Amino acid sequence: MQNSKWQQLEQLLGGKVTARTLTVSEWERDGGGKYPEAGDLLKTEAGMRFVARTSGSEVHVYEITAELTALEQELLRLVLQQKSGRTPAGPMELERQARKLGEWIGQNAVAGEWRVEVPDWMEIKSRLFDGMIPFLLLREQGENREPPYAELDKALRSFIADDMLLVPLREHEWLILVPDRLLAETEAAEDDVISGDAGKAVLASLASGLHQMVAEEWGGECHVAVGEPIDPTESVVYTVGVLRETVNLGRKFHVGMQVHMPWLVHLERLLSGIPEAARNRFVEEMIGRPDLFSDPETLQTLDAFFAMDCNVSETAKKLFIHRNTLLYRLDKIKQEAGLDVRSFNDAVLVRILLLLYKVTKRK
Amino acid sequence: MAGVRLEHVFKKYPGSDKASVSDFHLDIQDKEFLVLVGPSGCGKSTTLRMIAGLEEISEGKLYIGDRVVNDVAPKDRDIAMVFQSYALYPHMNVYQNMAFGLKLRKFRKDEIDRRVREAARTLEIEHLLDRKPKALSGGQRQRVALGRAIVREPQVFLMDEPLSNLDAKLRTQMRANISKLMKRLETTCIYVTHDQIEAMTMGDRIVVMKDGFIQQSASPDELYNHPINLFVAGFIGAPAMNFLTGQLVEEGGAVRFRATGFNVQLPEGKAAVLRSKGYIGREVILGVRPEDIHDEPVFIEASPNSIINANIEVSENLGHEMYLYLNGLGKDNVIARVDGRSGLQEGQNVKLAIDMNKIHVFDKDSELNVFENN
Repeated sequence: MQNSKWQQLEQLLGGKVTARTLTVSEWERDGGGKYPEAGDLLKTEAGMRFVARTSGSEVHVYEITAELTALEQELLRLVLQQKSGRTPAGPMELERQARKLGEWIGQNAVAGEWRVEVPDWMEIKSRLFDGMIPFLLLREQGENREPPYAELDKALRSFIADDMLLVPLREHEWLILVPDRLLAETEAAEDDVISGDAGKAVLASLASGLHQMVAEEWGGECHVAVGEPIDPTESVVYTVGVLRETVNLGRKFHVGMQVHMPWLVHLERLLSGIPEAARNRFVEEMIGRPDLFSDPETLQTLDAFFAMDCNVSETAKKLFIHRNTLLYRLDKIKQEAGLDVRSFNDAVLVRILLLLYKVTKRK
Repeated sequence: MAGVRLEHVFKKYPGSDKASVSDFHLDIQDKEFLVLVGPSGCGKSTTLRMIAGLEEISEGKLYIGDRVVNDVAPKDRDIAMVFQSYALYPHMNVYQNMAFGLKLRKFRKDEIDRRVREAARTLEIEHLLDRKPKALSGGQRQRVALGRAIVREPQVFLMDEPLSNLDAKLRTQMRANISKLMKRLETTCIYVTHDQIEAMTMGDRIVVMKDGFIQQSASPDELYNHPINLFVAGFIGAPAMNFLTGQLVEEGGAVRFRATGFNVQLPEGKAAVLRSKGYIGREVILGVRPEDIHDEPVFIEASPNSIINANIEVSENLGHEMYLYLNGLGKDNVIARVDGRSGLQEGQNVKLAIDMNKIHVFDKDSELNVFENN
C-alpha cells in the first residue's frame, strides 16, 4: 500500500496500522483459529489484528491500534475477503468452512456461551437452516484409524443425504447436521411432520444405522448421540453441549451402549448431579449390603430386567436363561437387599440404587 | 476364498487384570463353518469382533488368507458381518440397504443390481426390495441383514448370534437356511452362539470357550462323545450329562464306582486305564449321558453289573421321548432319557441299566477327562 493511502487509512481509523507477517502457529498461540483466512479478526492487547492474506504457513496481518465499531470491523473484513478473491466453496473449501464452524462451536462451548447465534461472517451459515437433525459422532481416543474428512464426508453423503453437513469438532469428534425431511422419508409418511414418540423412534433407528455404518467401515469403538431437529443458527452450541453430556452419561451409566438419546437419560442426568457424600449415604441407608451390585450376575440381571421394562419373560429371553432361573435370581436379590423389583416402588428404588452404584464405581 | 488363522491372540481391556480372551490359537480352514460356543462372558463375541476389526488385538496375529490384518480397517478385510444387534438402515428400502456397501466401494450400477437381485433370489426376498425395514417382520429383516452380507461376496462371513432375536420356530427354520446357504456359497463362516444345539447342528467344527480360553476344538461328534473336560461334557448335550461324585474301588479283580445309590462295574478296558493312572481308591466324577441310561428289559438283562434302582421324582413326556428325573442317586437329580411309550410315571420306583461303555470319568481336581487326556 502506498504511504499516502496508508496514512489515509490510519486517519480514517483513528489509530496506527502496521503490516506484519506471522506464522500460523503464532497466530494460533495468540488466540486465532487453526486455519486463518482473509478477513479473520483477532482481538489482542495491542488492538485488533485482521488477516489480509495467507500463503502456506505465513499469515499476513494488519494490526490496528484504534478502537473500531462493530460496523467498521465488518466492513474491513468484507473488503479483505473480497480482495483475497475467495471463490465459492469446493470440497476443500467446504471442509475449511466446516472446520471454522467447529472451532467456533468449541470456543463458545469452552466459554459457556451456549445460546450464542452463528455469526453472519461464518460463510457456512448459508448452509444452515431451520429443521436439521444433529448427530454427534465420537470415536474412542486411541483409535488410530481416524477417517480422513473427505472419506467420512463422502460416506455420510451416500448414507444420509447430499445436503448434510459434517463439522469436525475436537479430535475424533464430529457434528453431523442432516435435513429433517429424512424423518418423513424413513417413515414413508404422507405428512412431512413426524414428531413425538414416533419421531424419537425414527431418530433412534437412524442413529443406530449410522453407528453400524461407521463401525463396519472404520472399526473401533464409536458412540453416536442424536437430538431432535433444531435451528442450528440459534442453538448449535447448546445442542453440541447436550449431545456431549448425553454421550458421557451413556458411557458412565450404560457401559456397552454406543447409541445415545438425550430423552433417555433424564434420571441419569439428575443423579449425576447429586454430591458424592449424599449419594453414598443414600446407598448405605437403603441396602444393608454394599457389595450387592458388585456381583456381575446380579448387575447383568437387573440391567436386563429394567431394559425389558420389568417383563420377566422378555428378560429371561434376553439373558438366555429359563424363566424360573430368573425368578430365582430376583428372589435372591429380594432376600439380600430386602427389595422386590417386581413391585413398582421397590423397582424404582433399585433402579436408582443401581445407577448411583454405577456412578460411584466409575469414579 | 480364504481361511482365517489366529496366532496366540489375546484381548486385554485397559484397567482390567484379567484378559477377556487368552491365547486364542486356531487355524480355520477355507470354506469351513466354524462355531464359537460358550456361556455369556466367555469371550466368543470379543474374538469375533477382533476378527472383524471392531476390537483391537492386544497381542498375537490375525491372518485372513495370507495377509496379517491386525491393523487393517474392517472395510478392507474382505469380510461381511451379520451381528445380533444388526441395524438395517431405516431410511433406505431393502434394495438400497443391500446395495449400500457396494455403492460406497464404487461398484458399477449394473454389478450392484446383479448382486442384489441374486442375493434377494437366494434369500427369497425379491418381493420385498421396495419396502422399508419398518414394514418387515423379524425374519425378513434377518434375511435382509444376511443379504447385505452376501452381496459383498466376502472371503469370510462373521455371524454373532444372528438368530437370537427370532422366535423358536423361526430360529429353527433360519438355522437350516443359513447352513444350506453357506454350503452353497462355499465361503468360510465363523458363527458365534450360546446355544449348543445351534452349534451342534450347524458347525463343521465347534470351539467351546470358557473364561476367555479355548476348552476344546473338535467336530460335533468328537465333542459329544469325547469331551476333554467336565465343562465341555456338561455344556454340550441337552439334557446335560449327569455327574456323580464317588469312589473307585477294586473288588474281586474288577473296578467298581460307588456313590449314593450307585454301585456299578466298569468295563475292563476303562478299568485298565484307571489302574494305570493310579485312580483306584480315589474320588472321581463319573459322567453319564441321559440317553445312556436304559429301561429296556433286554438291556437290563444284558447288563447285570450296571443296574441302578431309583425313584422317579418328575417325568417330562415329550411324546417321542421322556425325561425321568431320578432321586436317590448322588446329590442331585440324575436324568434319564427313555422312550416316550415306556409308561413310566412319577413316584414309581424303577430299575435301569447304564451303558458303561459310554461313561466318562473326570479327575476331581483338574476336571479333565481321564480317558481323553494323556
